[in-house]
Amino acid sequence: MHSSFAASLLMLTLFASPPIWSQAAKEQSIPTPPASSNPQSLTKVPKGVILVKGAWSSASDSVTPLPEDSTVTNHVFHNQYFGITFPLPSGWAEKYKGPPPSESGRYVLAELAPADAAKASASASILITAQDLFFTPLPVASATELVDYTQHHLQSDYRIEAPPHPTTIAARDFTFFSYWSPVAELHWYVLTTQLRCHALQFVLSSRDRHTLDSLLLDLNKMNFASLDHDSPAAVVPVCLKDYATAENVIARVDPVFTENKSNSIPVRIIIGPSGKVKHIHFLSAFPGQAKAISDALSQWTFKPYLQNFHPSEVETGLTFGRAPTHALPKTPPTH
Amino acid sequence: MTKARLASLLTLAMLLTAAMPSAQTDPGVQKDKRGTGATLIDPKNDPYGFYAFFQDGLLRFQDVRHVSTNHPGLGPRFNSDNCNSCHGEPAPGGSGAFINPQFLFTGGIALGNIIPSFLTQHGPTLEVRFPFFLNSDGTVNTNAQNGGVEDIFTVTGRPDAGTCNSATILPQPDFAAAQAANNIIFRIPPPTFGAGLVENLDDSTLLNNQLANLNNNFGIAGTFNHNGNDGTISRFGWKAQNKSLQVFTGEAFNVEMGITNELFPQERPTPEEDQFGLGLPPACLNLTGTGYPEDRSNPLATPNTAVLDDVSALSNFMRLLAPPRPGSVVLNGLGVPAQFITTGSHLFNSVGCSTCHNPSPGNTQVSNFAPALSNAPVPAYSDFEIHHMGATLADNISQGGAGGDQFRTAPLWGLGQRLFLLHDGRTTDLLSAILDHASDGSEANTVIGNFTALTPTQQQQILDFLRSL
Repeated sequence: MHSSFAASLLMLTLFASPPIWSQAAKEQSIPTPPASSNPQSLTKVPKGVILVKGAWSSASDSVTPLPEDSTVTNHVFHNQYFGITFPLPSGWAEKYKGPPPSESGRYVLAELAPADAAKASASASILITAQDLFFTPLPVASATELVDYTQHHLQSDYRIEAPPHPTTIAARDFTFFSYWSPVAELHWYVLTTQLRCHALQFVLSSRDRHTLDSLLLDLNKMNFASLDHDSPAAVVPVCLKDYATAENVIARVDPVFTENKSNSIPVRIIIGPSGKVKHIHFLSAFPGQAKAISDALSQWTFKPYLQNFHPSEVETGLTFGRAPTHALPKTPPTH
Repeated sequence: MTKARLASLLTLAMLLTAAMPSAQTDPGVQKDKRGTGATLIDPKNDPYGFYAFFQDGLLRFQDVRHVSTNHPGLGPRFNSDNCNSCHGEPAPGGSGAFINPQFLFTGGIALGNIIPSFLTQHGPTLEVRFPFFLNSDGTVNTNAQNGGVEDIFTVTGRPDAGTCNSATILPQPDFAAAQAANNIIFRIPPPTFGAGLVENLDDSTLLNNQLANLNNNFGIAGTFNHNGNDGTISRFGWKAQNKSLQVFTGEAFNVEMGITNELFPQERPTPEEDQFGLGLPPACLNLTGTGYPEDRSNPLATPNTAVLDDVSALSNFMRLLAPPRPGSVVLNGLGVPAQFITTGSHLFNSVGCSTCHNPSPGNTQVSNFAPALSNAPVPAYSDFEIHHMGATLADNISQGGAGGDQFRTAPLWGLGQRLFLLHDGRTTDLLSAILDHASDGSEANTVIGNFTALTPTQQQQILDFLRSL
């Protein structure tokens, strides 16, 4: 059984020839079929493999790091896009991979927990997420505002233990707040920082606050490569919301979609110093949509972004397809 | 401590132990009367006369169809010959029964057929799909999505089958080969109680719910399936692929019973016959001898309700079915204290289940059908979004904007009286169904982690609460 499954996967791999807009151009936990029309012959469909995908993430190249490309290898969490390295607490592991990025720019980067719950002193989990601030429909413009919004919109089942306040984790500025559920006796610690126009969050959960306090110490072992000026990862484009406006776009061609899917298509692009689109990241798009947008964006020209009077790379967001849902009006705090 | 006091304490401890077993136990299907199957129409407040339409629809829901005589139109392929056989538990409009009617069909309405091995007497009533087409050498082509329904039975062997009466002319799909290739998935009939309320939820209500839940700390971020024609949110079916009850019914009439209708006027070949441009064999077309559609409006009929085509009448029946009513819960023969149910509902919210299984996604818009459908709460326990549910539940079927791992949040109202759980009825055990929400790629992983972090007693209270719905 295992050998036939492995053989099937091997066949998929051998036949795969990903085009430029193909899904899963980079390593992913969920095996992905190639987006080609060539027959893929299998005597048996592998179980537990998502072969038919809806709107999914993809990119124009397989070199540029993507937010969703987190890995856990040798008990260390890595995310090259955000420049994070995090040695997992002793005995911890990633049990499941998370879902693909959402239309609203939400990422699940990792879900971590004790590898053997029975041996753990207390049940606990760490959820690492990112919210792309270009695409959130919530009325927030920064990570700090997102935390405030979350605090003010907690369900009535929760009680705030510590309101948002600044803290430092791994030599980086974070906002910390915590709440708990009296009925479930579960506590949540939420640590948020802003990176590359994303709100990066570490959500720690357990019934035991001592365990959570211990996990906070573990988080201090994290390393943010962007803080290390010798690291190439420190050289990342400037991120600017709404840079792709009429005043900055010199030439544009609209994509021609061949099918109406009624979905919103959030796209992050990196514009090179020449003003041409250098990299396209589709957070959520059907393959045909990704190709149509790639074809169009390759013909766009931007006014070069100047940093210290020098043309520089800039990262920004665009939404194609259905317009995103309007943000909720700001509501008064409930706590 | 006196002996009498010790004895009373022991008795109390035994009673509590019975109500809170150390290992979590699904209380199972609840037998109390919850008014399931009733209409939400009040005959005394029925300005447009829809109560008569409900009663008429109920009769048609149970009406047995034949191929060419006496209520004709069935086939040439079908999964059943009436709506109620698949949607009859615990009342008309529900899901499949404990004794699977399909298992008995070869002794009655499908005489010339064989029962595929996946149909069992006490297993779920099933609809079957093949995710992929085959290559010419019989291997599976995972680049060629199929996903269409493969009806289990044909009219072969029936006395009213006319010229379409041979397995050579109209064979059953090769289910054994599909099973051997693991190229087969199943769906169970979704219950339709309260469906009229769901239909009458305005899109803005659903969108506002989505926004209100986006700040969750569980890693959940769903989306909606949309109707390709007008771009509005679709909401019926396991992947929210159907826009309205009329479309839902029209499709089921054609796909599950083989009855063409005003919405789906062509007889439906199998996906494979369609792929190769063959269509149905000529000997199996127009078996009623009256042309198409087999179900249509009847302008000359009386009384007024009879003027409707079946699809419209059946849609009205489902539209006017009352939502399921919560009830008390019995576990191992003992009533579960109401406080446990209440605590279970709070735990359900706290661990994050209600982020998707929204207890109350809002009130309905004003209805032109019945006052009871207007401005009414919809305690459906669903956000009607589609969510990535991971590799364990994925069926590799794409419908509308939903991919192979995306499913509509199943409404949980009525769960207390459901036999088979999840989209394919793979389990009757609630705990198993909950745990299957977690796997690679699922939005529910963190929530399931929170659930398993609860004490056994707390988990039991959630199970008790769910069976109260």
